[in-house]
Amino acid sequence: MILQRPLATLSFVAVSALVLAGCSSTDTAAGTTGDEAAAESVSFSWDRNTADEDEEATYEATTVEVPTDPQNIVVFDMASLDTIGALGGEIAGAPLDSVPDYLQAYLADDAFNVGTLFEADLIEIEAQQPDLIVIGGRSAALYDDLSQIAPTVDLSISGSFLETLERNTEFLGEVLGAQNEAATALADLEAGIADAQAVTADAGTGLGLMVSGGKLNAMAPSGDDATGRNARGGLIYDVFGVTPVVEDIESATHGEPVSSEFLLEQNPDYLWVVDRDAATGTEDAQAAAAVLDNEIVKQTTAAEQDQIVSLNPTAWYIVFGGLTTTQLMIDDVLQIAE
Amino acid sequence: MTDLLTRRTPTPVPARPWRTGVGVLIGALLVILCVASLFIGVSDVSPLALITGGPGSDAAFLLVTSRIPRTVAVLLAGASLGIAGLIMQMLVRNRFVEPGTTGVTEFATLGMLISTVFWPGMPVVGKMAVAAVFGLLGTWVFLRVVRAVPVRQLVLVPLVGIMLGGVVGSVTVFFAYRLDLLQSLGQWSQGSFAQVMQGRYEFVWIAGAMVVVAWFAADRFSVIGMGEDFATNLGLDYRRVVALGMVIVALITASVLVTSGVIPFLGLVVPNVVSLIIGDNARRSIPWIAGLGAIFVLACDIIARVVRFPYEIPLSVIVGIIGAAVFLWLLLRRRGRAH
Repeated sequence: MILQRPLATLSFVAVSALVLAGCSSTDTAAGTTGDEAAAESVSFSWDRNTADEDEEATYEATTVEVPTDPQNIVVFDMASLDTIGALGGEIAGAPLDSVPDYLQAYLADDAFNVGTLFEADLIEIEAQQPDLIVIGGRSAALYDDLSQIAPTVDLSISGSFLETLERNTEFLGEVLGAQNEAATALADLEAGIADAQAVTADAGTGLGLMVSGGKLNAMAPSGDDATGRNARGGLIYDVFGVTPVVEDIESATHGEPVSSEFLLEQNPDYLWVVDRDAATGTEDAQAAAAVLDNEIVKQTTAAEQDQIVSLNPTAWYIVFGGLTTTQLMIDDVLQIAE
Repeated sequence: MTDLLTRRTPTPVPARPWRTGVGVLIGALLVILCVASLFIGVSDVSPLALITGGPGSDAAFLLVTSRIPRTVAVLLAGASLGIAGLIMQMLVRNRFVEPGTTGVTEFATLGMLISTVFWPGMPVVGKMAVAAVFGLLGTWVFLRVVRAVPVRQLVLVPLVGIMLGGVVGSVTVFFAYRLDLLQSLGQWSQGSFAQVMQGRYEFVWIAGAMVVVAWFAADRFSVIGMGEDFATNLGLDYRRVVALGMVIVALITASVLVTSGVIPFLGLVVPNVVSLIIGDNARRSIPWIAGLGAIFVLACDIIARVVRFPYEIPLSVIVGIIGAAVFLWLLLRRRGRAH
């Protein structure tokens, strides 16, 4: 009977845990150092989209109790994998094919494959009995299935990029009992972003460009609300302060198709280029450099002054949002400081 | 009796004098659209800027590197896709086939994907060659399958082709999905001339050359269009002409595919419209189809550039909408009379 109603069981556990958490946080307040708090669970709330794929989004406030110090963590969201690893956690299961090289070290030696960024291998995950599942972005729709197996939280972007980074880092720090590390890492990144902004402030205008399949797409600022998958396009403006050369690009997921003539006409001082094909591992002959190597682009200020900046495609397109990755992004922007 | 034998066949009166008018109209439209295409774009390239252009003006430079290549590419793609449709229709003796409804486009796309996966560093010539070989294979498979279908109903043949294309297309999508190439596939197969410029469009001249070849062989295709027995009785090497047609179709499909992506409906709509105007003589209809196809794509490309200025919308969207409307009109009017 209990097995048939896992949700009910889960909420029962959650409620009892909440009570416990309430007690322990009182303890923490009484204690002196935060790290010693032995809370047994941390609660995480977000607005979950309960609509089906082709329906209008409807949001439902969802709160999930997560056990602290989980030993068996399954992660679908690469940014969360990055942050958990950077905070000293170990990942037991992830979509192994999608984990970029620079995050491989965060995987357990015997890490198991949980599927892809979009789809879960439910049988394998069930068999491995995880005690925490983290989803986000591409995998957000897996909540219903995964929450039947273990406490599942969706760390998708909500609000601005920075708000999300802060929220997720603090939450994961608390779960892993690494609040201090989380706070230090956040402070470092914020300082780094401030440095980057200082550099871009003097750099004139810029255009974020995604190159894919031999075609050019101009990216748009997404403003304060980076919720959804538009976020990555606007990061260069929203987070790193690049002055957009045009403001009104509609935030389509992969930008607006433009011609080389558009680049010449708008003539931004800097071109910030994400090579989408490189991000997904195709070393296409028509990779970004080849596409931009043409007579018209050569006439632009960005090309003449050698100000076409390649951004790490994995960081900017696939992962964006984790601790290590944000540092990579800062370094990418700081390239122009010399 | 003698009267019957000696009476001269009446000299053919031009049955529809308005045809000349339509021909002139097509020519005029083509010129107008070409001029418009040269001067419409993100940058300021106007006749005035060309004349007064000082040292700071990019007008002449852009005209040569961007506008002229783009206009030429659109003209050649439009003209040749119409011809590819016509030839397929002659080979299969069915008015509803074109590379897009016979699986040829899907085969060529699969070829592009395979060359991207296995030989990523391959220059565009190589990719085009692989795409063309696959296009050829696609035409051949389609012709074999159609021969095996017992009932040669008007609608059944393209239906078989569409199913064939569906199978090949899903194989392509499956591999693209597994290899994380789905979005790349979508990007380059979506028809658009936005990236066309000097050095990026020259392959479409191959398609242009195929139009000329098709014109030279036009009478043979007309005869082929009357059936294998008829053609053989006239002393025509049926298989050789069919092979020539297949090569023309494959090369046109592949070179347009690598230049601009998939442009739907064109090969279907244009030959049918031309057939309504001047009938089915291939030699006469080839220039018409080339002209009308060029006008159609040119107009759509100008719309694509203007609608969301200064951004572009994919050409295939506009061709799809207008093409589908014309196609429906063709289908519906057909019901009224036996054409």
